[in-house]
Formats: sequence, C-alpha cells, structure tokens
Amino acid sequence: MENLQEIFKAEANDLIEDLEKSLFSLEQNPEDKSLIERVFRVMHTFKGNCNMFGFETMGDFTHSLETIYDLIREGKLQLSEEILNITLLSVDHIRCVLDDGELANEENRKNHEKLVTGIDKIINENIGQIKSVAKDSPPVQQANEERLSTYYILFRPKDYILKDGTNPMYLLDELAALGKSKVSVHLHDIPRLDAIDAETCYIFWDIYLTTKAPITTIEDVFIFVVNDCQLEVHKIADENLLENKDFVEKIDKELSYKENIDVEELQKFVNSLYQNNQEAEVKKDELKTTSTSVNTGKKETSVSSIRVSSEKLDDLMNLVSELVTTQASLSLFAEQSNIPELMAIAENMEKISRRLRDNTFSICLIPIENMLTRFQRLVRDLSQELGKKIELKTEGTDTELDKSIIESLADPILHILRNSIDHGIEDVETRKKQGKNEKGTILFKAYYSGTNVIIEIKDDGKGIDPEKIRSKAISKGLIDENAQLSEKEMLDLLFLPGFSTAQQVTEVSGRGVGMDVVMRKISEIRGDVSLESKKNEGTSTIIKLPLTLSIIDGLLVKIKETFFVIPLASVGKVYEVNREKVTDTFNNLVVLDGRQVPFLNLHEEFTLKDDIPDLLQMVVVNYDENEVGLTVDEIIGEYQAVLKPLGKLYKDIDIISGATILGDGTIALVLDTNKIIKNFSEKTYKMEEIK
Amino acid sequence: MTAELSTTVNSFLSFKLGEELFAANVGKVLEILELSKITKVPQSPNYMRGVINLRGNVLPVVDTRIKFGMPEIADTINSCIIVLDIDIDQESVKVGLLVDMVQEVLHIDAENVQPPPSIGNKFKSEFIKGMGKVDDEFVMILDIDHVLTTDEISIIQSSVNEPVQEEKKKTTTRRKKTATASKASK
Repeated sequence: MENLQEIFKAEANDLIEDLEKSLFSLEQNPEDKSLIERVFRVMHTFKGNCNMFGFETMGDFTHSLETIYDLIREGKLQLSEEILNITLLSVDHIRCVLDDGELANEENRKNHEKLVTGIDKIINENIGQIKSVAKDSPPVQQANEERLSTYYILFRPKDYILKDGTNPMYLLDELAALGKSKVSVHLHDIPRLDAIDAETCYIFWDIYLTTKAPITTIEDVFIFVVNDCQLEVHKIADENLLENKDFVEKIDKELSYKENIDVEELQKFVNSLYQNNQEAEVKKDELKTTSTSVNTGKKETSVSSIRVSSEKLDDLMNLVSELVTTQASLSLFAEQSNIPELMAIAENMEKISRRLRDNTFSICLIPIENMLTRFQRLVRDLSQELGKKIELKTEGTDTELDKSIIESLADPILHILRNSIDHGIEDVETRKKQGKNEKGTILFKAYYSGTNVIIEIKDDGKGIDPEKIRSKAISKGLIDENAQLSEKEMLDLLFLPGFSTAQQVTEVSGRGVGMDVVMRKISEIRGDVSLESKKNEGTSTIIKLPLTLSIIDGLLVKIKETFFVIPLASVGKVYEVNREKVTDTFNNLVVLDGRQVPFLNLHEEFTLKDDIPDLLQMVVVNYDENEVGLTVDEIIGEYQAVLKPLGKLYKDIDIISGATILGDGTIALVLDTNKIIKNFSEKTYKMEEIK
Repeated sequence: MTAELSTTVNSFLSFKLGEELFAANVGKVLEILELSKITKVPQSPNYMRGVINLRGNVLPVVDTRIKFGMPEIADTINSCIIVLDIDIDQESVKVGLLVDMVQEVLHIDAENVQPPPSIGNKFKSEFIKGMGKVDDEFVMILDIDHVLTTDEISIIQSSVNEPVQEEKKKTTTRRKKTATASKASK
C-alpha cells in the first residue's frame, strides 16, 4: 500500500505540474478551447487517481474545481482572473495536502475550507446566471455523477477477430451491464451460406447505451480489442434517451437498417428532440468529451514516456561505462589476435556500444523547459504581490542539460529572478515616467555555445547602480575607500558573501544571502556566473554551464607512466620545448610565439622529478585571462572523459577533479588546471614573502 | 552486509604484512583482487598508493605497509588487494588494502579474542580490536573503519621499537602451522 501511495504521489506531482503549465498557457490564451480541455482532462485524471487511492477529500475538492472548468468548457462561464487565481491557489493547496490526505493539519483544513467556499461561490454565482438550471439538480457536482447519459457506440470488429479467440458477445454483455442498452445488428455483409467462412466475423453493431458511467469506462470495455476493431463512442445526450419514445422509434425504424450512421445527423436529431420536449432544459452538449475515434492508437494522451528512477539511470550509466571499457579491451585483443572474424565482431561491438553510450547519455539529458513552470509561477505571484506588471518571456527552452545540473540549477535561478522582480524592474508609475512600457519584461534565454550551455536572464529594469555598490562595499569594509574599480570589478563585488544592495530588506530578497549563494551553487556544478548591467536599461545575468557533469572533452596527455586529462575547454595551444628551457630557468618563464609565458613544470609539481625527457610538450591553458604553460611528456590526443570521483579518501586533493577509465582499463586523472595554477601561484607568493 | 551483521560474524580474513599476521572481519570484505596497475595520484600522502579500475569504478588503494609503518617493499606475486566496505562518517565507502599476502578465513569465537596488551604493543591500541587466539597463536584483529578514517600517516607507536625482533620470532613459528595462503578465500 505504501508503495502504491508513492506511485500516486509521484503521478500526482506530475499532474499538478502539467496542470500548472496548462493554466499558464491558458492565462495567455484565454480563448483557447483546447487548453481548457486540457486543464479539465488533467483535473479529471487527478480526481480519478485520488478516488482510486483513497484520497476522497482531495478527490471531492478537485471535483468542484473541475466543475468550474466544465462550465467554462460549455461556454456557460467566462474564464476570469478570479478563477485562475483560485485555481492556482487550489493547485498549491493540493500540493500541500498530498502528504496530509485527511487534513489533519489545522492550517490545511482552514485553507481547504476557504478554497471550497471560494469555488462554490464561483459555481453558484454563475449557475444563477444560466437561465434556469434543471430543477432537480441543485448542487451541480452531485448531479453530474447521478445523471444518466446516452451514448452511441459503433463497434465494428475486424473480420479476423474471431480467430484471436475474442467473443464479441462478451463485450456486448459487458456494455449491457453498464446500463440500459439497445443493440442493433448489421447483417448486410454476411455472404451466401456457401461462401461463409466460419471463422470470419461479418457483422457489426450499433449500440445505444444509457449509463451513469463516463465515456472512458465504455472505452475500457473494448480495451483489449482496440486495435482489432473500429470503435466509435459518442455521447449524444445527457439524459436517458431510451425512455424517449421518439428516439426509440427512430432507432427501430431507420437507424437499424442504415449501414453508416452519421453521428452529426444523429446529434441533430437528438437536439431537435430536446427542444421539442423540454424547452427549459439546457442542452448540455455538442458531442461531449469529443468523439474519440479509437481506431488508430489509443487516446491522444497515451503514454509516450515512462517513469524511471534516477538511481536506475545512474546504474545504467555505470554499466555502459563498464561495457565501453570492456569493449575497448576486446578490440585491443582482437587486433592482436589477427583473426578476421573476431575483428569483425569486435568492430560491430564497438559500433553498438558507442551508440548505446550516446543513447544513455542522451537519456540523462532533459530540456530546460522542465523547470520553467516554477519560474513562471514565481514571476506571476511575486509581481502581483509587489504590484508590478512583469512578463516572463522564454527562448530556447528545448535546450537540454544533464538532469543533475537541472536539479541544482533551479534554486539559483529562482534567486536571480527574485532579484530582477524585486530590485530590477520598477513599478508601473516609475516605468511610465521613464517612457518605458509599463509592463516589464524578463527574458529567459538558453542556448548552446560549444560544449557549454548558456542561460541568460535579462530584465529591462533600472539596472545596477555601480555607485551604490561602491558605497555599500566601502561601508561593509569590503573595499578600500580609495580603491579604483572597473565596472566589471564593481559588479563582481555582488558575488561576495554578505553583500546585498537592497536598501530595504523585503520578504522577497535582500536577506544578505544573495548572489554569493548563487555563485557557489553554480560553481558546484562547474558553472560560472557573470553580470552585465546598464543603468536604466536593465541587468543580464549570464550562467555558463557544462553540458553534462559526467563527460568532458579533454586532452589526453602522459607524464612518465601516468595518464592525465586536461579539460579541452581551457587548452589554448600546444608547443614543443626542449628540456633545458624548462629545467635551467630561474623565473619559470618561457618564450613562445615571441611572448613570455609563465609555466609550471608538472614533473616537479607531481614529484616525478627524475628522467625528464629531452623533448617536452608545453600545453598552454587559459587562467583568468592569462596564459600559463603546463609541461607534459607526451600528447596522446583528444579524449572524451567519463568523470568518476576519486572518493572520500582523496578529498584533500583538489588539483584532480576526478578520474576516467581509458579504453585499455588504465586510469587517467583529470586535472583541474585552475586549481593547479592557483595553488602554485599562492605557493610562490608565499616564498617571495619569506624572502 | 549490514553493520549489525558484520559485527556479529566471528569469521575473519587473515593477511600478512611482512611476518605479521592481521585479520579483518569478513563482513567488511567484499572481494580480493590480484594486483593490477595502480595509478598514483599526485600530491597525495604516500600511504595512498593510488587508484585502480574496479570494473569501471575508481577504487582508492591504501598501501597498508606504509600506513602501518613498515618499510616499503617491491610488490610480489603474492601481493594483492583486499576490497573492503568501510564506514566514513556514516557513509559506506569502498577501499582497497594492498597487503603482502592473503592467508585464510579464520573462525575465532568471541571468548578467544583478548583485549590488546597495553604495553609492548607495536601498534596504537585504538586500531586493534583485539588479539584473536587461533591454535595458541595470536592474530591482530583490526578495527578497519578506524584504521582508514584516521588522518594520521601511520598507526605505529612512535617510541616503541625494541619488541619488533621478539615478535618476529613468534610469528615465524606460527607461520608454519597456519595453512598455506589461499587467495581464493571468500
């Protein structure tokens, strides 16, 4: 049971997210019928799930919500700001209540009651407006469940259906069990007796069913034969038509003989019946829940993806790495063996494992879109709260990132957005005065740039005042009063711990933990943040991220017997130098391309001092806009390194960011060049001080 | 294997470093590997021998000799790596111990385990769980979690050097009795 509830919750969370997303689109296009349809459908599914798993309170709650959208869908209610607000609040409420199904928490209960009253008010107010609602159904929600509906079902099995062992009669029986039904059989296709194949089905059925069950229940009856038949289910009326004499007569006289029943015509006929009989009764429907032609695949919402725990993905990832490694040894062995067959097999294996690897990596990538709903919500709620008008525009939301990066990215971005909304974008008055559009815009843009993904968050607000930062930094003692700082350096001050420029501490931001947290979080995933700002034009926050945490492009090099990988992103150029140039030097400078480049002898750094070869390779890497050379013995080539952590026992070694396993199973260490150079320069700095 | 189980099991894997016989609870032992190529990590303490590739994962290997304050020797055909599952800050971590030779799995009942002598012991007693008695011989049962989580370079007592010779004699006689090394022990 515990397990089932977990599944329910996971699914519920998905549904809630989907719902939220649809609501936002709906807000933008309030006229879009299909969106209302989608909102309704999600709610409906959620309600079903709730009831199935015993969360009746929530089920009932959702039901009331659903009623509102049912009314909107039928055009009886205009979608309003009020409705959207209450729906979003309800969505929040549902999210809270997921862990508290019985409303044990006092606050939840209060909130619940408040929302229920709100929803009921909306429903009741509007019901009052709708002419005279059917006298016998005061609370709409109950009426909906109790009401009988009449469906027209066309069931035309394919001729081979009997060969599969399906007995269509059972299906008809099952339908009959749902309510009162009237079945007409079509026998036109039956050939002459001598031509009959006993195993072929020649007949089909029209069924008129009056039932309380929803359309999905009817479809479920046919669930196992969906692909073996032509099935059409139409709701033709919200009442028991089979008690209507005119209708039954029509069936008996005309419809039973007609081969192809035109649903539209049937609907017209039903409607005319309506009007004749009960003027006052509001016709509920033009083809409710739209006709679902189930002939081609299942419902359009059918599952296109499955839920997999990320643990399993990690396992898969590990297994693939193992496979790739094993495969590399196989290739090596095959090459040495000189058996053509074996070599062919090895080659095939290599192709397959490469594809498998690429696929597995791509599985772990998810589009940025997945976290956007949260942002949209934040912008909406916050701007309302602060009385500002702000629109969040998004671009490149299909850009994909590793799931672990996305997970750790949400909080920093939320923070940046909060800053933009709270401090960046001005209120309506100020904006008008400055001749800006009174509606502020925040642009969220993501795009690929080489092996990086760049996320840009740009607002058109007042920008950051460098002077403000300056005075603040001085008052906090972060910089000297006389310090001359460039604009960029000034902006970088924002990333220092304990810096917050907001004059007033609001609930939203300005709690003193600001951009430094953003910076730290993002550097944890090997990313980088920078700011650009122009006064009165706006601020851009630019986040640069690696594509994945697990693979990096690197330059495979060798120092003595050990392989190292230098991240390719930081490598500028490679030169060949003589040993003397490196060993017989006082100031660790080497002349390359006519420029003096400081260098680091990795032999020395890694205490592998002896036998330095005569010819060394100097890999020039970028370090903070400077170039620094690193000496290695040999360049092997480019290599895609799958990063593996070194583990806790090596937690103090910061110059190595991880290890990777080469094709033949040996381990190469991935260097963190920035750390190496930083450590080195700190060390030499200290030495100078001592002198 | 759960922590509870591992402490209740009275079987120990014994291994040798030089002439000394040590033992670790089998509950902690995952497998025994033949020596493969070890990649040294630069700027790491010298008792950290390096990392090896354990079927696609990186396994750190501790040179037990150096950790235990013994002279470094060249690897032999009998050298092997015992893969252990140890707890560091309540987190289970895999680590390899490079030892001279793996002996056998011993069954030592709790009553045959004596507290480590406080005097004349070469190793700091906090790393020794007890002295196990097998056929009138003693095996040092290690507190593996403790040995590997300490930041100290060596677990050897700094002042004590004399008893080494005596102990060596003892262990040579014992070696004859114990069964010959079986690497394949589980």
